[in-house]
Amino acid sequence: MNITSTLCNELAVVALEGDVDLRCSPALRKELLERTFERRDIVVDLSGVGYIDSSGIAGLVEAYQGARDNGTRFLLAAPSEPVLRVLRLARLDRVFTIVDSVEPLAAASPGEPLS
Amino acid sequence: MIPPDPPGTIADGPSRHLDLIAEMMAAFARSQDVETTLRLALIRAVERLEAEAGSLFLLEPDGALRCRAAVGPVDVTGLRLAPGTGIVWRTIETNSPQRVADTGRDPDFAPRVDDATGFVTRSILCAPLAAGPERLGAIELFNKQGGAPFSDADLGLLQALAASAALAMINARLLAGLAEQEAMQRDLDLAAEIQRAMLPPPQGVDSPVHGLNRAARRVSGDFYEIVPLSDGRIAFAIGDVAGKGMKAALLMARTASLFRCLVKREDGPGRVLAAIEAELHETRLAGTFVTMIAGLLDPARGRVVLANAGHEPPVLVHQGRFVEITEGVPPLGIDPRLFDDGVPETVVDLDGGALYLFTDGLTEARGLVGGVMLGADGVLGLLAAFAAMDAAERLETVLHALGGAVSLEDDVTLMVVEDRLRPPVPAVQRLFPARPEALATIRAAVAETLAGLGASAEVAADCVLAVDEACQNIIRHAYKGGEGDIVLHVAREESDIVIRLMDFAPPVDPAKLVSRPLDEVRPGGLGTHLMRSVMDTVGFRPPPPGIGNLLEMVKRNGVP
Repeated sequence: MNITSTLCNELAVVALEGDVDLRCSPALRKELLERTFERRDIVVDLSGVGYIDSSGIAGLVEAYQGARDNGTRFLLAAPSEPVLRVLRLARLDRVFTIVDSVEPLAAASPGEPLS
Repeated sequence: MIPPDPPGTIADGPSRHLDLIAEMMAAFARSQDVETTLRLALIRAVERLEAEAGSLFLLEPDGALRCRAAVGPVDVTGLRLAPGTGIVWRTIETNSPQRVADTGRDPDFAPRVDDATGFVTRSILCAPLAAGPERLGAIELFNKQGGAPFSDADLGLLQALAASAALAMINARLLAGLAEQEAMQRDLDLAAEIQRAMLPPPQGVDSPVHGLNRAARRVSGDFYEIVPLSDGRIAFAIGDVAGKGMKAALLMARTASLFRCLVKREDGPGRVLAAIEAELHETRLAGTFVTMIAGLLDPARGRVVLANAGHEPPVLVHQGRFVEITEGVPPLGIDPRLFDDGVPETVVDLDGGALYLFTDGLTEARGLVGGVMLGADGVLGLLAAFAAMDAAERLETVLHALGGAVSLEDDVTLMVVEDRLRPPVPAVQRLFPARPEALATIRAAVAETLAGLGASAEVAADCVLAVDEACQNIIRHAYKGGEGDIVLHVAREESDIVIRLMDFAPPVDPAKLVSRPLDEVRPGGLGTHLMRSVMDTVGFRPPPPGIGNLLEMVKRNGVP
């Protein structure tokens, strides 16, 4: 899995690419917690993810909780059908705010890389 | 005015002779040959202390003293003093220097040497050669020139010389010991390297015969051989040499190479063993012998011919049952007369089964595996449980399972001879390391297997998720992040997909498999819920060999 974080219109866009499993979920968790700590609005671009397991979901849940405590926004964008199925199985599809695409949120911003 | 020091006072102590002490210490430090330097020390001491004669005695291994150097009118070099009386013995026994002004008045003085040599001993100065509690001998001086007795200062100097001589001797001995140890180490390294080079290379996945060796020590007495013959048959052998170290290693190398050579010449494994016995008898090594099985597989008929000389009986595993093949003769290398009637052969039809040969290191491997005692049949149980696995991987899996928690004290060698005529088993069994890095490979293996079984993409995705979650549990909760293995078993049973995951970790509490309520949104604890959601049944089963954990998950009607 690759993680690319960019800042667009004050929104942290965390784009994931590849399978999210126990091997890389610690890196995802760390990245999301850092963005949460910066009190940024976050959108996780899941369009490049074909597989996610419970360890990856756990990282998303933790970031969601951090954002809730911060009063910032935490969005999931463009989950593929397999990812959506796991979210549904975990009954989290109604918990997360899920949008179809990152585009409208990040529009008209060239985006600057976040560390 | 300060009067000059009378002889024998402190100011007349060893400091006056610092030059000599320094010279001798330097000589000892430089010396490659301690005996020569000891002789020099004796000569210097005799000169400097103005003695008429001197002798250097060293303790022999039998406890007697032998004179190794002598200075003076009579050469007593080589003289042997049995343990007992004499000033030199008193010096050694008390481990303290002795000064005898008048031998006539010392009851311990033994005049025997004087009587034999004609030398007249009046006074004696003797210092022990010792380092700590270790006694090496003594330096003894006789008769101060001019008739005066030896002084305390003389005694001090002799003591100092003796101390540095003793240190030099100890050093020399340690160095010699080290050099010997290093030479032995090099020998063992070389023997181990030769042995490793002699073992057959891993066989291709299509080979019906595979072997695996794990040496407990660096030089192993175990060996195995796999020799394909020009007519398509495959000769094989397994053996264990009694005894350890170089002698065993040499015999092992010799026996293995004899097998490779004779198997092409002799007709049948019985004759091969008899021929090896005849050759070994020519060059016997006392106290060693070889237990060995020679065999010949005809892959076209699934038939094995075996001959066993004193080795652990091989076992045929056939449809989950174990049959020991017990016929045999005594070990090789004991007495050729035992082989006068030849070596009997046993014919074994594999009939779809597999024949296992092993050394006693494996059958004696009874210990804790994942916190559970491995029984006598534990190894065979493991082998039977992994019957669907590729042969080489199966051997590896069993050694991994044993090695996880058991310290195998003996060398272990394991061989399998399989029937390639057997129908393919409708299942996949594979071994994976229990590490997060392996999960992608495990998922790919599940997906590929299910596609092969004709499962739909949705069914495959569900099974992949369930296996991934179950493996996470094994990695995190069974092995708790430590080293370990996972055996994945995917099989079709009628229209159901049955997935089994086995580990060799301590038994886990089945109650851990209960899903958590999902009403509360929190990270973690989702895995079991996901497994239960996508599979029809999820539960622990008793693992076949009684060790580790076996999780079984079923997807009903998963395949057409």
